[in-house]
Amino acid sequence: MLKIIIPTIMLMPLTWLSKKNMIWINTTTYSLLISLISLSLLNQPSNNSLNFSLMFFSDPLSAPLLVLTTWLLPLMLMASQHHLSKEPLIRKKLYITMLTMLQTFLIMTFTATELISFYILFEATLVPTLIIITRWGNQTERLNAGLYFLFYTLMGSLPLLIALISIQNLTGSLNFLLIQYWNQALPDSWSNIFLWLACMMAFMVKMPLYGLHLWLPKAHVEAPIAGSMVLAAILLKLGGYGMLRITTMLNPQTSFMAYPFLMLSLWGMIMTSSICLRQTDLKSLIAYSSVSHMALVIVAVLIQTPWSYMGATALMIAHGLTSSMLFCLANSNYERTHSRTMILARGLQTLLPLMAAWWLLASLTNLALPPSINLIGELFVVMSSFSWSNITIILMGANITITALYSLYMLITTQRGKYTHHINSIKPSFTRENALMALHMTPLLLLSLNPKIILGFTY
Amino acid sequence: MNPLIFTTILMTVLLGTMIVMMSSHWLMIWIGFEMNLLAIIPILMKKYNPRTMEASTKYFLTQATASMLLMMAIIINLMHSGQWTITKVFNPTASIIMTSALAMKLGLTPFHFWVPEVTQGISLTSGLILLTWQKLAPMSILYQISPSINLNILLTMAVLSILVGGWGGLNQTQLRKIMAYSSIAHMGWMTAVLAYNPTLTMLNMLIYIMMTLTMFMLFIHSSSTTTLSLSHTWNKTPLTTTLILITLLSMGGLPPLSGFMPKWMIIQELTKNSSIILPTLMAIMALLNLYFYMRLTYSTSLTMFPSTNNMKMKWQFETKRITLLPPLIVMSSLLLPLTPMLSILD
Repeated sequence: MLKIIIPTIMLMPLTWLSKKNMIWINTTTYSLLISLISLSLLNQPSNNSLNFSLMFFSDPLSAPLLVLTTWLLPLMLMASQHHLSKEPLIRKKLYITMLTMLQTFLIMTFTATELISFYILFEATLVPTLIIITRWGNQTERLNAGLYFLFYTLMGSLPLLIALISIQNLTGSLNFLLIQYWNQALPDSWSNIFLWLACMMAFMVKMPLYGLHLWLPKAHVEAPIAGSMVLAAILLKLGGYGMLRITTMLNPQTSFMAYPFLMLSLWGMIMTSSICLRQTDLKSLIAYSSVSHMALVIVAVLIQTPWSYMGATALMIAHGLTSSMLFCLANSNYERTHSRTMILARGLQTLLPLMAAWWLLASLTNLALPPSINLIGELFVVMSSFSWSNITIILMGANITITALYSLYMLITTQRGKYTHHINSIKPSFTRENALMALHMTPLLLLSLNPKIILGFTY
Repeated sequence: MNPLIFTTILMTVLLGTMIVMMSSHWLMIWIGFEMNLLAIIPILMKKYNPRTMEASTKYFLTQATASMLLMMAIIINLMHSGQWTITKVFNPTASIIMTSALAMKLGLTPFHFWVPEVTQGISLTSGLILLTWQKLAPMSILYQISPSINLNILLTMAVLSILVGGWGGLNQTQLRKIMAYSSIAHMGWMTAVLAYNPTLTMLNMLIYIMMTLTMFMLFIHSSSTTTLSLSHTWNKTPLTTTLILITLLSMGGLPPLSGFMPKWMIIQELTKNSSIILPTLMAIMALLNLYFYMRLTYSTSLTMFPSTNNMKMKWQFETKRITLLPPLIVMSSLLLPLTPMLSILD
């Protein structure tokens, strides 16, 4: 694992020592190379995990997430070039350093063996993200957004620290590989109910669960493009990954403790999808759609069947790529009109036809069109929740319909129709932007040819 | 002040604390405290104005009361044990009185009211000495009598201190008062684990002193005592703003900075001793502290107040020398990976 971590850390001296006209080229190239190295982890020969050392391991759940993380750094760097072009050199380097630091912590989080190490790195990802949102965001609301983001996550995760330490007292070790073999049922008592809650709330806030999702629209909307991309694609998946890891230790309370959260997720996914239909702010629409997709993942993780775990993993990877691509598309609009209001930039298909093709593909994958991996994820989740309880099919069906509705609403509003007068002088699409969209879309389309690598450890 | 006299007074302060830390006779400890108190009054009053006089008077009155209570506890201990050696306190009454006296000296709730007002009235350098060096002596006595302290009183004072330190600092814009409330909260964390593992108290004290030293050095460097004047540092030395950000986040206890290490160790120790609600409460109330540190970072480093350069330049007559700042910054932010080294402290 050091073959990925050390090069990522060394990206920081690379940025600080690069010349002015080479920083973007250097960092993007080398982060692409690092992502190629991480692709080798996808080759998981056995059902057991690939053990690298005492501290790092990767198994069929964390390997796709790791590849997604490393794939996203060059994309983030490409997306940030435009809005940082007017800044002084030192601030550009600081921004890239923040992104690199965040990347290092994320890689270490996804491959951590010891759960307390996972916790420390999980919290450590907050600091660079906070700095990126509050320092480089564009509106005054970003300060509030940063505070909400930091405090919601910390309030949820401090009880997690205490729960992890008390589990360590009980079992003697928090090494994830050992716990798999030791696993005993938690005795039934009030304090174990609180232990369950303490373990899960951190990840529920991070996912986010419907009632605790207030930080997400603020943070996603106010963050600069790289911040939005990494938040939507990876940081939400940290919550899902944590839940998938920790629910193995929490039986049998999960069978009854999960009900309130299942209800909240099932209801919440419909509510947030409906809110998307009424949004005027493009980034806010994409943010609420993230909440809706993640609610599906929460339902899948809490049901705890092999198919639902497969669906959760596939949905996480698919949503990461799709949501990040939608944010990049919204950002290309924002950079031209400096406004996030959807109706101000209509009819773009006439002006930017190639970008309209990317908008079409992104919206189609967002609404889970076959045969994309979004569909595989959603389908597995819908099927397993149907087997858990037949009535959920109504809610799931309604959600799929409303998702289709708002994705097409977003597509039609921004792309079709007559264009507004004031945007007929926008710059045409840059090659960088087209490359960015292609790099998002290609893994999505190629993975639909071989989805078994993203189906997680229950395949 | 005449340099020779200033040196003598400073040496007396040092000597007083050293006597407290190294004595085994209760009377010598009391003498050490009194030497410390009497010698620090001129240091607190380096500038002669009514505000400093008020602050020094308040400090003197509270600390003298605490010394007298300490003397009473020593005498009761003498009456019940017949000897002056500092081992443990033999009588519960004496233990309670001694704990209250030392809490008054440290600034724990409910004896915390003097800390913000005294810290505000004195200069930044004197405030630095007050909040770091002066805490060493009472804490060393608490460490030595830790087996015989009444657990209820100790934990109540600790939790209340964390609460007061968090809530009291929320409405402050004066930097010295913010540091005072932060000191109250950190003292609360230190005393919470005193009964379980006093080594962690010392660890927390060490890291707290490093972080407070760093903060004060950065404030002295930019000669700023209010949030508004701190927000002008981006104009003069932009690097200082980054250092303020890192140190404040470390004081708030965010991983992966070293301020997280004492909190983590304390939570671990408390949880191992089967108290779960207490560390949860303490950890969540530490978030209040983090809120007003974040507010400081917002005005200092994460936003830039719109102003033209020549409107907000501050008069700076001489370049201030900041001693040892780079090692302090490194130690107050990057020590977390060294946590396994704590096993050498056993």
